[in-house]
Amino acid sequence: MATGPTTGTDGRPAAPTGTARRRLAMGALLVLAVGWSITGLEVTVDRLLGAPGDAWDIFRRMFPPAFAEAAERGVVGKVFESVHIAWIGTLIGALASLPLAFLAAGNVAPVWVRVPVRQMFNVIRAVPELILAMILIPITGLGPWAGALAIGVHSIGTLGKWATEAIEGIDEGPLEAVAATGGRWASSMRWGVLPQILPVVTSQWLFRFEINVRASAVLGMIGAGGVGSELVSQLVFRNFPAVGAVLLMTIVVVLAIDTVSAALRRRIIRGAGRAPGDVVGGDRNAAVLVDLTGIGR
Amino acid sequence: MNGPTIAARPTRPRPGARTWVVVGVLITYTVFAGRQVGFDISTFWNVWSNPLWEKFWPVPWDWVLDWHNVLDPLLETFQIAVVATLVGCGLALPLAFTMSPLTSPNRPTMIVSRSVMNVVRAVPDLFWAKLLVTAVGIGAFAGSWALSVFSLAVMVKLFSETVDGADPRPLEAARATGGRHLPVIRTGVLPTVLPEYVAYGLYVFELNIRASVVLGLVGAGGIGRVIEAQRQYFRFDRVLGILLLVFVVVIVIEQVSVAVRRRLV
Repeated sequence: MATGPTTGTDGRPAAPTGTARRRLAMGALLVLAVGWSITGLEVTVDRLLGAPGDAWDIFRRMFPPAFAEAAERGVVGKVFESVHIAWIGTLIGALASLPLAFLAAGNVAPVWVRVPVRQMFNVIRAVPELILAMILIPITGLGPWAGALAIGVHSIGTLGKWATEAIEGIDEGPLEAVAATGGRWASSMRWGVLPQILPVVTSQWLFRFEINVRASAVLGMIGAGGVGSELVSQLVFRNFPAVGAVLLMTIVVVLAIDTVSAALRRRIIRGAGRAPGDVVGGDRNAAVLVDLTGIGR
Repeated sequence: MNGPTIAARPTRPRPGARTWVVVGVLITYTVFAGRQVGFDISTFWNVWSNPLWEKFWPVPWDWVLDWHNVLDPLLETFQIAVVATLVGCGLALPLAFTMSPLTSPNRPTMIVSRSVMNVVRAVPDLFWAKLLVTAVGIGAFAGSWALSVFSLAVMVKLFSETVDGADPRPLEAARATGGRHLPVIRTGVLPTVLPEYVAYGLYVFELNIRASVVLGLVGAGGIGRVIEAQRQYFRFDRVLGILLLVFVVVIVIEQVSVAVRRRLV
């Protein structure tokens, strides 16, 4: 063999040079990072060894779950209250974010509009729902409205960002067509952009709804309505069978909503009875959505 | 002349009966849900005139930029996120391989690991935190446990989908040499999916930084503990200062992580 890759003594290609040293450096960096981090976490050997046992102990005591007791306390209603909060929050976020996304997209908005709008999305996304709810509770009072509003505001950030990406991924042809008929900015958005992004954006809303159901369950823990308050109060009383019931009911509802919503999203993006690869709304938009579907929160 | 004449416009498609039913159901549910959560449109105006806003300003920077008050807990938050990401992603690597039909040792293992992980993922992150605080006591230790569980669930989902989509040909080649299960995966699949694994790991780290900010609200350590305490004293100026600081940290980490991820994939 005159040309081709360098070969070792046994005729195999030689391993690429330099990777071993780089790997070692990466490994050492990781070990250092973990070592340093563990020093800050009050870890002792017996705590570390005892933790799985403690967690298992609590898990075991949740069985059998006290469904009757939980139902009597109205937990079913609380779980559905979480769903209502998530729905209203998602709607607020969706309705507010869609027009804003048009102002943030690079291909349809001028720089001086799009930079501030995008920064606003970033700032909103950086504030967790729980913190928003904390700020809102003194204003709206304890209860589900604070939760719905917190989720709504937070959703504006993510939904706005995703919708912006969808708009930036459109086919520019229809935009040109509207411009050629003499249409104004508003009509080119309505007829050139909206029909293209609507399937993707609808699926984004559904996906955000799935995330928001989990978020609204958590919001109950600080008194913003929903099932979280039940979990906290049952844990305070160390009534573990009831905790088990609350958890199981939440899991069932969350899984049910995830399943239905995922099926709807697939139907919206791929249409009925189409081949899996056959995508409506442009390939790039589909890629954006695929990116989102795996994300857990 | 064939084809449509100019005078005869095609009729506009009208929504069918099913569309109206769906729209009707959605509107009805929205009205119902709105009533249930106490939807109150006046909040959108009244919110601005609330006297509470004065409490947010001015930010006491000398209090916020103090090691004892804020920076130490913020460092703790960062440490929780580092440990949780590494534990979660470390465990996710073997587990994700059992979850993909391409690399799973057998079907029962795949079904069991998939269902368990779906259930784990259905439990919100702060529920895990609260449960683990009850189990192992208040503090950052419980927080890192909770976030480890949650990173595991997210990572396994993201990464197993990558493995699903991996090129099966190297795997076949490795199997054809008569390799055993683990070496086959190690040489046939792992090299092709490793860049994605690292990229998702960084993404999970970003999620963990965001999540560990609020862990303290349920007693699981980190900066959230300080936020909760200051909120109870209605020191919203301090809360705002902490939030601004956290915002800067999150943005910096995100930018670094995005840059690294772009290089990897």
